Amino acid sequence: MVRFWSSVATVVAVCLAAYGPVSVAWGAPTPSASADAQRYFQTTVRPVLETFCFGCHGPTKQKAKLRLDTLGIDLVRGPEAETWHDVLNNLNVGDMPPEDAAAPSAAQRAIIVDWLTKEFEKAAKIKRSTGGRVVLRRLTRYEYNNTMRDLLGIDMDYARDLPPEPTSPDGFKNNGSSLGMSPIQIEYYLAAARLALQRAIVTGPEPKVHRHLITDSREVTRSRNRGVKPYVTKRLQGGGEFVAKLREFPRTGRFVVRVKAAAAIPVGSGYPLLSLSLGVRSDTQTPEEQSGVIEVPGRPQPLPQLGAAPAKQTPPNADPRLEQLADLDSRIESLQKKLADKSLPKTEQKKLSDERRRLTRERQKLDRAQRAEQQKRADAANERRLVQPIDEPRVFEFTGQIDQFPLPGHNPKFPGLLVILRNVYDGKHDTVELPGVKQEEGNRSTKTPKFKVDPRLPAIHVESVEFIGPVFDTWPPAHHKRILFDSALRDDESAYARVVLERFISRAFRRPATTADVDSKLAFFRKVRPKVASFEAAIRETLAMVLISPQFLYLVEPSDPSKPAKRLSEYELVSRLSYFLWSTTPDDTLTQLAANGKLRQRQVLEQTIRKMIADDRSNAFAKHFTDQWLGLAGVDRVAVNPEYYPDFDDRLKPQMRQETHVFFKEILRNDLSALNLIDSDFVMVNRALAQHYGLAKPLGHGFQRVAVKPQDRRGGLLTQGSILLSNSTGEDAHAIRRGVWLLDRLLGDPPAPPPPDVPELNPQEPDLAGLPTRKQLELHRRKEACNSCHRGIDPWGVAFEHYDAVGLWRDEVVRVVRKGQTRRSPVEARSVLPGGHEVSGIDDLKTYLLRNETDRFSRALVERLLAYSLGRSLEWSDEATVKSLVTQFQKSDYRISDLIVAIVASEPFQHK
Amino acid sequence: MKKSWHLNRRTFLRGAGAALALPMLDCMGASAAKSAATELPRRMCAVYFPFGVSLPKEGSEDAKWNWFPRGEGKDFQFTNTLQPLAPVKDDVTVIGGLSHPTGWKMGGHDTGDIFLTAAAFQGSRYQNSVSIDQLAAAAMGHQTRFPSLTLSSDGGVGEPTRSTTLSFSRRGRPIPAMANPQQIFERLFGQGGAGSAGDRRTRLQNTESMLDSVLADARSLKGKLGTQDRKKFDEYLASVRAIEQRVARSQRWLDIPKPKVDASSIALESTQDDPKEYIRTMYDLMFLSFQTDSTRIATYMIGQVAGATSIANAFPACLGLAGNWHGLAHGAGKKGGAEKLGRFDQFLVEQLAYFLDRLKNTSEGDGNLLDRTMVLYGSSNSRTHNNHNYPLVLAGGRKLGFKHGQYVKHREQFPLSNLFVTMLQRMNLPVEQFADSTGEMTELLT
Repeated sequence: MVRFWSSVATVVAVCLAAYGPVSVAWGAPTPSASADAQRYFQTTVRPVLETFCFGCHGPTKQKAKLRLDTLGIDLVRGPEAETWHDVLNNLNVGDMPPEDAAAPSAAQRAIIVDWLTKEFEKAAKIKRSTGGRVVLRRLTRYEYNNTMRDLLGIDMDYARDLPPEPTSPDGFKNNGSSLGMSPIQIEYYLAAARLALQRAIVTGPEPKVHRHLITDSREVTRSRNRGVKPYVTKRLQGGGEFVAKLREFPRTGRFVVRVKAAAAIPVGSGYPLLSLSLGVRSDTQTPEEQSGVIEVPGRPQPLPQLGAAPAKQTPPNADPRLEQLADLDSRIESLQKKLADKSLPKTEQKKLSDERRRLTRERQKLDRAQRAEQQKRADAANERRLVQPIDEPRVFEFTGQIDQFPLPGHNPKFPGLLVILRNVYDGKHDTVELPGVKQEEGNRSTKTPKFKVDPRLPAIHVESVEFIGPVFDTWPPAHHKRILFDSALRDDESAYARVVLERFISRAFRRPATTADVDSKLAFFRKVRPKVASFEAAIRETLAMVLISPQFLYLVEPSDPSKPAKRLSEYELVSRLSYFLWSTTPDDTLTQLAANGKLRQRQVLEQTIRKMIADDRSNAFAKHFTDQWLGLAGVDRVAVNPEYYPDFDDRLKPQMRQETHVFFKEILRNDLSALNLIDSDFVMVNRALAQHYGLAKPLGHGFQRVAVKPQDRRGGLLTQGSILLSNSTGEDAHAIRRGVWLLDRLLGDPPAPPPPDVPELNPQEPDLAGLPTRKQLELHRRKEACNSCHRGIDPWGVAFEHYDAVGLWRDEVVRVVRKGQTRRSPVEARSVLPGGHEVSGIDDLKTYLLRNETDRFSRALVERLLAYSLGRSLEWSDEATVKSLVTQFQKSDYRISDLIVAIVASEPFQHK
Repeated sequence: MKKSWHLNRRTFLRGAGAALALPMLDCMGASAAKSAATELPRRMCAVYFPFGVSLPKEGSEDAKWNWFPRGEGKDFQFTNTLQPLAPVKDDVTVIGGLSHPTGWKMGGHDTGDIFLTAAAFQGSRYQNSVSIDQLAAAAMGHQTRFPSLTLSSDGGVGEPTRSTTLSFSRRGRPIPAMANPQQIFERLFGQGGAGSAGDRRTRLQNTESMLDSVLADARSLKGKLGTQDRKKFDEYLASVRAIEQRVARSQRWLDIPKPKVDASSIALESTQDDPKEYIRTMYDLMFLSFQTDSTRIATYMIGQVAGATSIANAFPACLGLAGNWHGLAHGAGKKGGAEKLGRFDQFLVEQLAYFLDRLKNTSEGDGNLLDRTMVLYGSSNSRTHNNHNYPLVLAGGRKLGFKHGQYVKHREQFPLSNLFVTMLQRMNLPVEQFADSTGEMTELLT
């Protein structure tokens, strides 16, 4: 985007462009037409208008009843905003000036268009202004989920039914102004609270614990896959399943499944993946739910060499069924011929066609048997190549909440709970050449799943499966006693309810409960108690009330709007900190710090923050911040076209997203320079992604740090699949989207959105599709309406052209012209950036960014991080803070942890 | 009064409805239906899709993929695109030329928000207003268990100008749309946990007094909040109050069991990964909610107009049509592009035809469900980015006074709000004006 304030991108100029020379007092924005803006308008914009517009829309003529020379420029409050909007539209579409009038040069046009665009942007910001204060902020879905989990000690999907969150203009989901509330949400908050409390507070005597030790996978008649019997086995590979049926099982509480197993891993494959599902057989379906997936490590072994052909190999045509089949075929054919004779009497016809039907059925049966036999033989041959486990079996443990799974009804036709183990490693990302092994493609049209023996795939040998449930350390369980603790007051329901409520409310509201808080809940408790059967039932209802209270659902920071900002209380500070870095409610340690009043000591604060970053809960920060800052959810919105990328597996998408989370976390946890985000000499990949990128593959499926060399063409965010794919078309790279992404997310300078009624490219142009992207973009920019914005966008995106839609390196752009036919053209990734610097490809671009753009990059990161930490968009009044944070950030060698410490210590974070 | 019935897919496939031909009100239980007992229900439904349609030039090779029919009035022929509507031709009117003039100056991607509201906002102001479905729901929603049903493929509310819902409250606030078939089904027909009617009543009474106490507490908190916070807090208060009313209303419905619908009759497990199945399931859910008279008003936003963030953007690719929806729409001017987009337009119309067919094949009174259901189908773009000349189909409602089987063309200044006025009037609402309306569309009526 070309700046109009100053071509020199000093920090001051940047901020002027970003926010305009506007000073915001408490909630009272001043007009955008400040002195500086006026001056700029008078000296730069107005002369252009005078030359090209005032002739028809000025003192002498007012065509279309429009007069521009007397029009004010207060776009915030003035009625003229609408008229200026028309002017901008007409310029964008190219309707004005008319063809028979003198046309402004590109630069002159740009002066007006850029000025109006920026002014509108500024006006929008001012209108959204919250006076530089954090707005009462509701917990986001994920914050709510984590908070409920940590508060009640029960892990379940609390937010399942809540509507997805809106995104703020700067891309964040935790922005108080954007987060709304609606009746349906309250309804689902209440339902989730009731369900969770039902689980958290138990009644009755200690339940019987069911224990089962299963050593055999048993045949269970199930109609999964519409009547196909599953392949039941203790050796899991490909489609096999280990199935156990439990006649007795718990219906509530936590369960544990321990699987004793060992892996058999052929060289070239990775560790197999053990999955556990629980389910039931019902009439027509077998509903089941996956509990988890665990990788089973082991030492890979070379595949056994096959010796000479086995002595007694039956030639394929020796199967007597084949002869029978041929015989049947000829009989059917002759019947067919007879039936063709229409002169036959009806009865005779019917006899013949019945006979034909019978034979056809017989033939089908025989054919199936013959195929099965063939498969069996192929399997037997392959079986001799299988590697066997060489490691001692180990125990792998799954756990879950049993009521989250489909359970049999109380008097079911098919009683029993099914415990199903599978090996979900599918080898899709392994390409091991293995001569001699028949590579059969599963036929998708048949319903029969292929349970083939494939020696190239790793297997899991299951020795035993142990099921225990419900499991609890004590009775009642810890989560119950956390709420209904032992107390001398237990015998006095009302007195006991008071202390229970006091403790629970203090935790739920993230500050000590006040008498008023407790009194009102207690009043409700007393109202409900006579209507329900037990004390526990009444307490559950009362706690549900706490969990739909605003003090729980929102981060409430009471303040007096008529007074200047006040410092946060210690508890409020701890809450902000906890939701910033952990996306959940403060734990006991943090709450204790607040209670002790020590957090104001800079040293304590800093130590606390570093401990929080080191804690695994900060993964939530790495995940949500990068997701929102970089717009990673975009990978799910782009459908990859299989005609272009037949090998691409959609399951890579979430892993690409994860790569970016983990990459950010690696930088944060190890205090590496944030410039690694632009370029790094390492990547974070798992086996599947390493395969995708063509890097050395680790055996395990977890993410690992892998060093990369220049020829690997990876490093930093710009070459990550998540970024490249989400800014592509699913067929090809998309230079415009990638350019916009770079400007917006990494350089903090988003271009204006496309204007209304954009004209289409002239289809009469020489076949656009045949031209390289760079040429297409050039043609596009010949239209002045497009050029004003796109000259600032396209060159950035062109530098990414060597990476295709799914993020892989390419030297040629491949376009599918029609099925099976492609057109290839060389990649052109050379472009001239605004300002005249020429770059050729991504390496050049990275170098350029590191040399020339670290200021804009630092500023962008600081702004986004600050906005995320506060849960609000930044405003003009934050300018001083941003500037000082940028300076500190750069001085601290771009360490994100230091930046976080500085943000938390900053004025906006500490005040409300 | 206890009555339940099973609907299953086979029944419908066999030719619909006959097996369960009970008029809805008979099964509803008299108490709830009293208010409307004298007349069969009037229903309204709006379905929106983003990015406009394929509009190749007349006479060009691709003209058969132009969304709009050839001809005019009674004398018109569908192109390929609307061909799936041929079996219900006498129940549909294609409308050309209409738009919301208020949207002409808005961004090409911004007008989804106002499709049912006709609100005027541009530049930096964003203030939406009530949508027609919510206006109707406020007036007549009490007649059914659910005042209205708001659905979209994306779910939630989205962001201003990129809303993922068509419905806006009387204060112009977006109403979150539901997107998960399982959840929608559970809400409409779930038997809501075991327990006797007595238990449920106790629970509802508890809820009522709980909400009462929450409101009382919350009001005292409000005084301690800053100005900005108070605005947000009002949203909370309004939501709790709305739930309170809903609870009161639930007590009225408590003795009338929810209609029992066999979950296996619908593909509830379908997701947006399989657009055909998914869109049909959403239509199925609207159909069932009408058939069981659970609601009479529904909206469904198939996709929102932000290529980068709408799930629907990936719909065409899932069908084997190359490219994303937004890209497909942009490429409509390129060689072969008109047909590609046209085929997808046609696909969407096929799903609409499926819905209309189900309604039409289900009898009600002396006609069928479609006869008393107005279905508005369309987009707020003609070509992508262009906020004029919306492609629109109005289907159903013959027994509400509509004559169909025509292609009505208007000059481009004609406001869509005029159609809204006519639709609302056919819902028996005394509406003379809606937003920027300048009249009615009596030419649609017999």
